[in-house]
Amino acid sequence: MVAIALGLGFGLSWYALTDGRYFGAAQIGPWAAWPRAGLPSPDPYTRAYLARTGALQLGAAEGVQFVATTDSDGQPLDRNCRYRIDGTTPISSFWTMVPVAPDGTLIAPVNGPTHFESARLARAKDGSVQAYIGKPVSPLNWLEITGEGAFQIELTLYDTTAFTGAAAATTLPAIIREGCA
Amino acid sequence: MRTFLYIVGGLLLGLIIHIAVILTLPAMAANNVASRLAGLAQLNTIVALDPPAPGVPNPLRLDPELDTVVCRLDLAKGPGEVSGTLPDAFWSVAIFDRSGAVIYSTTNRDSVGLTLDLGIFDPAQTRLLAEQKIDVAAGLLIVEARSDDVFAVVRLTSPQPAMRERYRAQLQKLACRNLRA
Repeated sequence: MVAIALGLGFGLSWYALTDGRYFGAAQIGPWAAWPRAGLPSPDPYTRAYLARTGALQLGAAEGVQFVATTDSDGQPLDRNCRYRIDGTTPISSFWTMVPVAPDGTLIAPVNGPTHFESARLARAKDGSVQAYIGKPVSPLNWLEITGEGAFQIELTLYDTTAFTGAAAATTLPAIIREGCA
Repeated sequence: MRTFLYIVGGLLLGLIIHIAVILTLPAMAANNVASRLAGLAQLNTIVALDPPAPGVPNPLRLDPELDTVVCRLDLAKGPGEVSGTLPDAFWSVAIFDRSGAVIYSTTNRDSVGLTLDLGIFDPAQTRLLAEQKIDVAAGLLIVEARSDDVFAVVRLTSPQPAMRERYRAQLQKLACRNLRA
């Protein structure tokens, strides 16, 4: 009984604050966001999530941050693989896409570009984005990463219609794994 | 039958542990955003946060695209004011309270363009403001805070990396002070 209680109690808490899909996090494809993180009175799960990460969150008017820890097939992101990010984003003033280590440290090479910015990207004729993140040199928009192990991609939409109800369905780019070293 | 009761008891106890963990975690967390801001920010002074660089720990998970400044205000000494002129680029303001929640946020897109003029009032000062016992300039954006200890966070982008130094210098010229002594 004690084992069930401890396992369920702490296991459920850990799940709620990492994945959190049924507890306040919104999941769109591989991307997860906490839509209530920027509100004056976040719900208890969002509050606990913010306390756990300690990140300087964006206010509701400033924007929304999505984090992907897996590709669109559900495989964890690996720094030895090349990923193609393909698709469109919700309406926003601009957005940034930053690959980071699980602790938030940037993983770009020193003195290299650290992130994508939506205004400085080559785009397809329909306005969609095709960008590559990985170690091998890649065409179009390419961001080099370094190191070994898991990583995350932070997609931050500034001044956005996402989660306001003003936009129709929120679509986010797919993350497609294209071979690993 | 007894095994079944033990399992049900374990599940109930687990749920109680889960709720206790979620509710106490924000108070227990030592490294939440409020304590980190308290360590960085200075009273009535604009402090620039270092933009994240590859390999350098980034506990606040700042976006490398933006420059960020923070400032702490003590409303017990009078209403707070964050004001100044900012460059013609995307910027945003968030006011954090002591619990780490964003009580107010706005961007240059939905307020006043180049000039930021924000007054922060605690509940007693808001009442005096409504009774017109505090004189404020016309056009002041009025924010009501629930407590006296607040942090202002201002984020600014620059359209080109070459402009970044100049824009950052302008961001640091913002005034952050009490409206009256």
